[in-house]
Amino acid sequence: MTMLTRRRLLQTGAGAGLMLAGASRMAMGQARTLNVTAYGGVWETTIRSCFVAPFEAKTGAKATVSLGSPAQWLAQVEASPAKPPLDVLIMTPDLAITAAQADRMQDFTVEKIPNLAKIPRQFTDACLGKGTYFDYGVAGITYNKKTVPNPPKSFAEFVDRVAAGDFVASVPSITYAVTPIMLIWAMAQALGGSVENVDPFFDAMKKMKKNLLFWSGPNDFFNHLASGEADLGIYFDGRTWNHYDEGATWIDFVNPKEGGALAAVAIQIPKNADPLAFAYLNEVLDAQNQTRFAEVMNYAVTNEDVVYSAKLKPRITPWQQAAFPPYEKIAAVRNGWVDRWNREIGR
Amino acid sequence: MGGFLLSLFVVAFFAFMLAPIVVVVVISFTSAGYAAFPIPGWSLRWFYRIWEYPPFVDAMITSVQVAVLATVLSCVLAIPAALYLTRARSGWADGVTTFLLSPLSVPMIVIGFSSLFFLTWIGIGISFTALVITHTVACLPYVLRTVTAVHRAVPPAYEEAAAILGAGRWATFREVTLPLIRPGIAAGALFSFLTSFDNLPISFFFGSAQTNTLPVVMLSYIENQFDPSIAALSTLQLLLAVICLLAADRIYGIEKMTVAA
Repeated sequence: MTMLTRRRLLQTGAGAGLMLAGASRMAMGQARTLNVTAYGGVWETTIRSCFVAPFEAKTGAKATVSLGSPAQWLAQVEASPAKPPLDVLIMTPDLAITAAQADRMQDFTVEKIPNLAKIPRQFTDACLGKGTYFDYGVAGITYNKKTVPNPPKSFAEFVDRVAAGDFVASVPSITYAVTPIMLIWAMAQALGGSVENVDPFFDAMKKMKKNLLFWSGPNDFFNHLASGEADLGIYFDGRTWNHYDEGATWIDFVNPKEGGALAAVAIQIPKNADPLAFAYLNEVLDAQNQTRFAEVMNYAVTNEDVVYSAKLKPRITPWQQAAFPPYEKIAAVRNGWVDRWNREIGR
Repeated sequence: MGGFLLSLFVVAFFAFMLAPIVVVVVISFTSAGYAAFPIPGWSLRWFYRIWEYPPFVDAMITSVQVAVLATVLSCVLAIPAALYLTRARSGWADGVTTFLLSPLSVPMIVIGFSSLFFLTWIGIGISFTALVITHTVACLPYVLRTVTAVHRAVPPAYEEAAAILGAGRWATFREVTLPLIRPGIAAGALFSFLTSFDNLPISFFFGSAQTNTLPVVMLSYIENQFDPSIAALSTLQLLLAVICLLAADRIYGIEKMTVAA
């Protein structure tokens, strides 16, 4: 006969309690579907395997992944703020600020998202506390090793050598959304200017204009380099390594010594979204999940506990070595920069 | 000499127009993992990639469904409107025509953005129905314009003769008017289908996991990926357009349709 000891009673009770709690959570989860967002292609499949799968396994809920773009998702939330059609938004840093300022997004706290404690405070502050960054790259100098054996090590050297005709450079045109940050602000800052004074950038563009090409999308840049039309240009580290892994082994990247502009991906939860979104966010910010994401995407992630593989580590530019754009200040003067670009550069 | 220069100009003009399309088609057959021209070798891998990636296939099915439904709805609404407005003598008929054609002069992105807010406000929200409604708004003017153009060229005496000979309104439409305006309907339906199938600015605002169309998924795909599967998809879209045009030419004759357009 089995003796019912106090210890066994407690163990049985605790076990039953956990099972009931688990079953109840599963039952609650099964009735719920979270709508999350992703860019298409490898991004989407990686989001599914690295974040959606562990989220579904832990909560028993389902997550649908909506493909699209940040401006589209924000418009959809704006159209229906009381019942947003999306529960988690992938955002550009400037749109993340716009959404936070419009009070459309929820506050991020460690109580709601325990893994937020492992994310540098600067990334959450950059979203005004209503979001955080989970992935980032750096816009620096990408070059063709065959035609540029000795690449410029800084923005200043880049400008001087392009102006001297040593290279033809491909830089983003003003039609590319991030140009004011990755080019105008980053180069102005590196050449002694600031958000308030971008004259050094426009002076540099005048000096280089005979040897410049403009790209309006990442594929254009790659085509400029692949076809030999350009030798180097301003581009992202992660994208450079993706091209390398796809077979373009002649390509390389250098982070300018002044620091290339940080290009981050923000993540936010709209007000009135399903509270389960915080559980998903916790998976997105989890060190193990982020490590797997980084290995596939060739981009840096933000959890401080992430340890990159030997292959990825040398490719990653630590965010401390990048220039952190003051998005809020830039947003206030951005239209003026675009207007000046159109008048002085025109492409 | 003048004839030679003209021929040279025509050849140069067509080369300039066709070169980018040819480059896209050639890149879609590249064996490389990235889009670059000239290509290092030939392969069908990027066409296989389309079938391998479920969002492309799902979005293609959605795009075809939306395009077909928007085209049918546009015809149902625009053909009766065109028949009436062509023969109407009152002053407001011009106003109604202008109103129905107005989506042509409003940027598509404005139609998409405002429709998102309006349809959400009336409770339809982001759905397949909303997508079809908004695409119909954008496609209707094409059918209206082509049918109006053809019907205007049909002398009213034909319909009057049928009526005098005892044909009712439906019989007149079926036996006289419809055969005469068919090239206009075909041209309008063709433009309508292709406009809807390729539409990005409207579909963009109604994209969701269930309602994404092909252009929205393509845009999202190239945000972070650079492989030539987008060129392969573009080639397929181009092929679809060419097939539609050839079929329409076979059935109605492209000349009649271009007159209508």
